[in-house]
Amino acid sequence: MNAFDFAAPTSVEDAVKLLDGQNTAALAGGTDLLGRIKDQVTSPQRVVYLKDIKASSGISGDAGSGLTIGAGTLLAAIVEHKAIREAYPALWQSTTEVGTPQIRNMATLGGNLLQRPRCWYFRAGNGLLAMKDGKSLVRGGDNRYHAIFMTDGDALYVNPSSLAVPLIALGATATIKGPKGERTVPVEDLYQVPRTDKDSELSVASGELLTKVMIPPARGKNASYEVRQKQAHDWPFVLASVNLTMDGDKVSASRIVIYGVAPVPWRSNAAEKSITGKPVTMETAAVAGEDATEGAMPLSMNAYKVSLTKTAVKRALLAAVGNRYWEV
Amino acid sequence: MANWPASPNLIGKSIPRLDGLLKASGKAKYPSDVRPEGTLFGVMLYSPYAHARVKSIDLSPAETMPGVKAAIAIAKAGTPLRYQGDDIAAVAAETEEQARDAIRAIKVEYEVLPHVVTEHQAMAEGAPEVFKGSNIRNNSRKGRSQTKGNPEEAMSKADVTIEGTYSLPVITHVCLEPHGLTAKWEGPDKLTVWASTQAVQVVAGELADALDIPVANVTVLTDYMGGGFGSKFSADVWGRTAAELAQKAGKPVKLFLDRAQEHLAAGNRPSAAGKIKLGATRDGKLVALIATTHGTGGARGGSLFPLPYVYDVAASARTHNEVFVNCGGARAMRAPGHPQACALMEAAMDDLADKLGIDPLEFRLKNLAPGDFHTPIYEGEVRQGAELIGWREKRKPRGQNGGGPVRHGLGMALHQWGGGGTQDKKVSCTINPDGSVELKAATQDIGTGARTILAVIAAEVLGLRPTDIISNIGNSSFPPGQPSGGSTTSPSMAPPCLDAVTRARDAMFKKVAPTVQAAAEDLELRNGQLYVEGEPIMGWKEACRKLGMASISETGSAADGLASVGVGGCQFAEVTVDIETGVVRVKKIVAIQDSGLIIDRLTWESQVYGGVIMGLNYGLFEERIMDPETGVMLNPDLEFYKLAGASDIPEIVVRAYDPPDQKARGVIGVGEPPTISTAAAIANAVTNAIGVRVPEWPMTPRNVLNALATASKEGKA
Repeated sequence: MNAFDFAAPTSVEDAVKLLDGQNTAALAGGTDLLGRIKDQVTSPQRVVYLKDIKASSGISGDAGSGLTIGAGTLLAAIVEHKAIREAYPALWQSTTEVGTPQIRNMATLGGNLLQRPRCWYFRAGNGLLAMKDGKSLVRGGDNRYHAIFMTDGDALYVNPSSLAVPLIALGATATIKGPKGERTVPVEDLYQVPRTDKDSELSVASGELLTKVMIPPARGKNASYEVRQKQAHDWPFVLASVNLTMDGDKVSASRIVIYGVAPVPWRSNAAEKSITGKPVTMETAAVAGEDATEGAMPLSMNAYKVSLTKTAVKRALLAAVGNRYWEV
Repeated sequence: MANWPASPNLIGKSIPRLDGLLKASGKAKYPSDVRPEGTLFGVMLYSPYAHARVKSIDLSPAETMPGVKAAIAIAKAGTPLRYQGDDIAAVAAETEEQARDAIRAIKVEYEVLPHVVTEHQAMAEGAPEVFKGSNIRNNSRKGRSQTKGNPEEAMSKADVTIEGTYSLPVITHVCLEPHGLTAKWEGPDKLTVWASTQAVQVVAGELADALDIPVANVTVLTDYMGGGFGSKFSADVWGRTAAELAQKAGKPVKLFLDRAQEHLAAGNRPSAAGKIKLGATRDGKLVALIATTHGTGGARGGSLFPLPYVYDVAASARTHNEVFVNCGGARAMRAPGHPQACALMEAAMDDLADKLGIDPLEFRLKNLAPGDFHTPIYEGEVRQGAELIGWREKRKPRGQNGGGPVRHGLGMALHQWGGGGTQDKKVSCTINPDGSVELKAATQDIGTGARTILAVIAAEVLGLRPTDIISNIGNSSFPPGQPSGGSTTSPSMAPPCLDAVTRARDAMFKKVAPTVQAAAEDLELRNGQLYVEGEPIMGWKEACRKLGMASISETGSAADGLASVGVGGCQFAEVTVDIETGVVRVKKIVAIQDSGLIIDRLTWESQVYGGVIMGLNYGLFEERIMDPETGVMLNPDLEFYKLAGASDIPEIVVRAYDPPDQKARGVIGVGEPPTISTAAAIANAVTNAIGVRVPEWPMTPRNVLNALATASKEGKA
């Protein structure tokens, strides 16, 4: 790793000042950044350590009024939070499945949302889009873990945040502080699709700091379903989160978001449209899962993710109404 | 001549390993923990390319960096680099960070050459050559073909045949402690190293040769080591380089590989793929096998494996293509060749049993070699395993495992191994007047419990507890000891240990007898007491004091009849497969293993557990993934190179098959056999669950779903 300046501010304002400038990096749990620095994927000139900022961690509010989660809140604290477990199972479930207990004891919500993609071409130093001589290494290479949506573009990695998915389904917003003040955006707006290797996949600019996430009051039913290979430490292949507003037995409105299939958390309008106005049954959930794959264009080695998408959406919908048919 | 006791007090019991607490509490110092005063950190520079030639190399920018004390070029202008991870240079500096920075400052100009990193690339028409000549070397040339009988004719007469294509990827050893050593010069021609090795004396010899110093002046120490599995027999380029850096810097140098270079350069298990045609009579007797197989051991070769495997096939023909690729070379890996052989053979066996409509268990029993020594042993093991897994109650024919999303399946496989010892190793036993007992041998504990096993034998003979014995191994200057490979350590070391301790005891009796007014043959040692004619007369320490000033020291050698060779075993797997996600969960493994006389049942069982877990990883998770375009390994880590965590480990039932006639065979090694058949049994259980063969290992969701999709397209599922 290269030598770098290190700062450990105790206030958000100081952190924002320190982050302003060329080539700075915010360090919270370090579960992503430290590996990138050691592997020379990221070589910041200044590292700003955030864990001394007491104001940026903690969970407040309740299911009735909505929750505010500080960006510096440990994932372990989310797992232990009773209201999240009871009222926001989509978020709770996904958080329990991140990394290992050790990682959840270090990693923060902000760090999870703003981590960089795990694409092995990116991590091997080929740049975010992994283009070589004008050709995509991903498209012609081993893309078993890559995207199946938006694959007509050049960004073929998948967004790595498995917590963005439930948060977007729940309609959460993120507050960002920068030199020009504070702004609050929907969580989905944290992400963008880069056109060139110089673009970032994150919309948070250098000098900006994600401070908190706010989740609206819990109404209706929500759930997540993750398909992963190992039970121990592993990444999901595909994860679906659903948030359903119910009118009696029927879904009156829905948000369905999928991980592992696109360079951004993938909001499936097709699946939402499919389930809205219907009760969630084995049949309607299966159709919604099927509809969720509309427009999928798998790469050479990841057609299996189309099947996983169907299953994850179907099971997340059924989990939301208490039908865990696959556990019998 | 000493013999194993007919009714032992300790041998065959479960005895905790002497260093178990030290290891579990983190107090045991592994070679990579050792840092003599002033130790510098060594780091290797290795090839970032799969294939290149060094045009020039300039160390000077590194040499002048802060903290750097020595730099060495391993490659020079013109040196070919044949794989990512190939050695180029090394640096020693005061801190690891300084050394890593310095490595990046070395200026190397490369001529990048075309590469082949997959078998597919290497076998293509006009592919770039790894070495001069073809990338494919086959065994069909004269004298090397493996043909028995007239397989074509026999196959044409078979009532039922199957043809299957199966493949297993390259996997790597993933030793938890990486390869390397710490080198400290004690004088101009005297060297001490702490090496993570499975062969202290091999490493000593190699270093002495490379550095041109007397081997008597090289001491290799390996008190503990964090896994070798066949990949740590050598000092290796990095070990020699560490010693050279230490010489140049005038300070000790610690050089251990990082995880990426471990995957790239420190060995691997070759891939295996093949088309197997297997034929049988209607009633299930195998008549012919015809197979074309290939595999790659990288730039080194070594992918051949036995076929047919275990079963009796009257006529067979087998062609194997050794494929060279620009990847790190294969090394022996826990039962070299056998896991591959077992997986391919047992998949074909299951597929043929299914086509015949015969229970695959019965089909296997029917095809064991008639009259073979091991046939009745296999029969006993299969019976025991079937009972423990619930084969008769739970197993349903292939594809008849319910209609829900989660299907249940059972599978099995048989394996074989040697596990015999050598006859030329020694153990010394010293009994001191203070009552302490020391064993010495230049073998090492690769994790099997070698240290404890020797202590158990000594304690048995001397009527003491194993914890009373100081069992010193892992030192190359001790009497000649066995490298830990081929499951040979126990059968090589247990007999000379028994001999040494028996001799020492007899010498002690001879000296002590006159002091207690008895004949030596009337003395006995039991429960820490000296007995005369069946009566305890004094404690062990008091008896030792009778030795006066002189210790007793005896060296023991191997003798016939104390060890043997040749084991079999079988494993059963119970799995569930979610056909909507392709996720396989192993619920239970039953492992039945014979290996002659068991010295310590606890460490023996640990070996079998470890073997099963390693086999489970081979079956479900492991795969070296190479990028054809850039020629690099895409998963040189523990993130996408997947290994089971604790929660992925199922119930494992281990049983020794050791009736009295097994015990009478003497000691046989058990390190390797229990890892052979796990991946095969798991794949057969997956196939049983979902009704279609998953032809590619590991049993990932992708491979499972692809197999289901293919079958669905063909209208089979």
